[in-house]
Amino acid sequence: MIEVVDLHRWFGSVHAVRGVGFSIPAGQAVGLLGPNGAGKTTTLRMLTGIIRPQTGSIAIAGIDALARPVCARREFGYLPESAPSYPEMAVRSFLAHRARILGVSGKDRKARIQAVQDECHLGPVYKRRIGQLSKGYRQRVALAAALLHNPKVLILDEPTNGLDPTQIREARSLIGDLAQNRTVLVSSHILPEIERTCERVIIIGAGKVLADGTPEELCEQNTGGGCIVECRGHAAQITSALTAALPGSTIGSDPLEDGWWRLNIRTKDSADPSEPVGAALSNARIQIRQLRPQTAGLEEVFVRVLEDSIGGEE
Amino acid sequence: MTQTLAIASRELWSLFRVPVGWIVIALFLFLTGAVFTLGSLKTGEPATLRPVYGITMMLLVLVAPAISMRLISEELRTGTYELLASSPVTSAHIVLGKFLGALAFLAVMLLPTLINVAVLFAVSDPNPDPGPILAGYLSLMLFGCLCLSLGTVASALTDSQTLAFLGTLLTLVCWLMITNVAPKYVGPELGARLASASFSARIDDFARGAIDTRHVVFFISISAGLLVGAGAALEFKRWK
Repeated sequence: MIEVVDLHRWFGSVHAVRGVGFSIPAGQAVGLLGPNGAGKTTTLRMLTGIIRPQTGSIAIAGIDALARPVCARREFGYLPESAPSYPEMAVRSFLAHRARILGVSGKDRKARIQAVQDECHLGPVYKRRIGQLSKGYRQRVALAAALLHNPKVLILDEPTNGLDPTQIREARSLIGDLAQNRTVLVSSHILPEIERTCERVIIIGAGKVLADGTPEELCEQNTGGGCIVECRGHAAQITSALTAALPGSTIGSDPLEDGWWRLNIRTKDSADPSEPVGAALSNARIQIRQLRPQTAGLEEVFVRVLEDSIGGEE
Repeated sequence: MTQTLAIASRELWSLFRVPVGWIVIALFLFLTGAVFTLGSLKTGEPATLRPVYGITMMLLVLVAPAISMRLISEELRTGTYELLASSPVTSAHIVLGKFLGALAFLAVMLLPTLINVAVLFAVSDPNPDPGPILAGYLSLMLFGCLCLSLGTVASALTDSQTLAFLGTLLTLVCWLMITNVAPKYVGPELGARLASASFSARIDDFARGAIDTRHVVFFISISAGLLVGAGAALEFKRWK
């Protein structure tokens, strides 16, 4: 549904996007994750035709967005970062105006406006001026406007920016509902937002795609190099057994009840140390009740991927 | 075309939702009314609106930049331009829609001045010749087209309404100075060339009742060229 190949964008001497490429099949909800200034918004602005890439290609619903930009723009709905709208207009006038611009035919217009009003729960504020609405409702109005032409693709740039926790929860639930029957690309630097709404994550940093996969795949790829063990014995005995088996590793220990300890062991390499840890503790006749490899959360993956990319560049 | 008209109608409507729209109309009607009362209603003289058109042209030099300054600058400043730029419309649709909205506002602003015409017909004996009156209004609309298209270009170049206003105003004033004042101080050949680009001489011709096709083409072609320039400025933003 979205095909992006080798996008490059310079702003003067700044190389903001450096060969970004990805492919999103129909019906998938994808999160574009990255720190501020990573190139997320620039990538989305190129996808939506607001700016053009210097090199690369973009196809949306099979339409070449650079050769036939107007046709391609019919295929997606876009919610810009600040959810802009005209504050002096009433919600219904704004939606009617946007429907005309988006090319919704006169006979369908009323029905589509009613549909997005229901989908985004705008009933209570439908007749009010946008300037009088809360930030959460303004966000919904902008989202409703992006859905008017019933697009196959929905592109959302930082959709929960500036919202309070309740509004964030509402927005997240709304996006989740919308993602049921559409291809959705959401950009954000807020991890829980992506984790809860998207089935696939693209991590972008310094204008490049650093990682791409489902959250589970990314966590799995970045797991290793550590394990958690719960065992019972003398602290000094446990430590000497482990340092002998895994020289150079770091061991964090937390005392539990009845002489039990929880140890967090990290090795220098990325190999899973569960097996040598189990063997070392058994040989030292130390009782083990739990031993599991350390799994990384998306937040840890995000930090690790960014650190690796910085380390790689240095 | 639906998209262009949607942009135009929102623009016209929004000009009535901001104080500047009403202030511009009130000021314009007050000044044109005063000029009409002092310049056209003179006992014993032929009934004509000719003095009103010259002054109205000068007023348009001030008023048109105030109308056009927010056309695109405001969208750029508030971020709503992103909505337009990512919509299935071309830069030409955006520019034409904005321009038509402003032109409709100008027409609405000129509409109440028809009261002056009615008064002139009511108090004059014999009645005034309608030809020069119609030609005069046509000239104001054509000159308004030129000013508003220039304002659209300025508005497409900056997100500052003040800069857009000053840019349009200064360009129009410079144009007036170069084509009306400078010819007196340069050689006859260059002076004639400069004077041929004058607005005021053309508007004066219209006010006498002469609709010269060359004058119509002059205003329309310059306006069209400027609108193409505004469209190019918006396209350039996609590459910048």
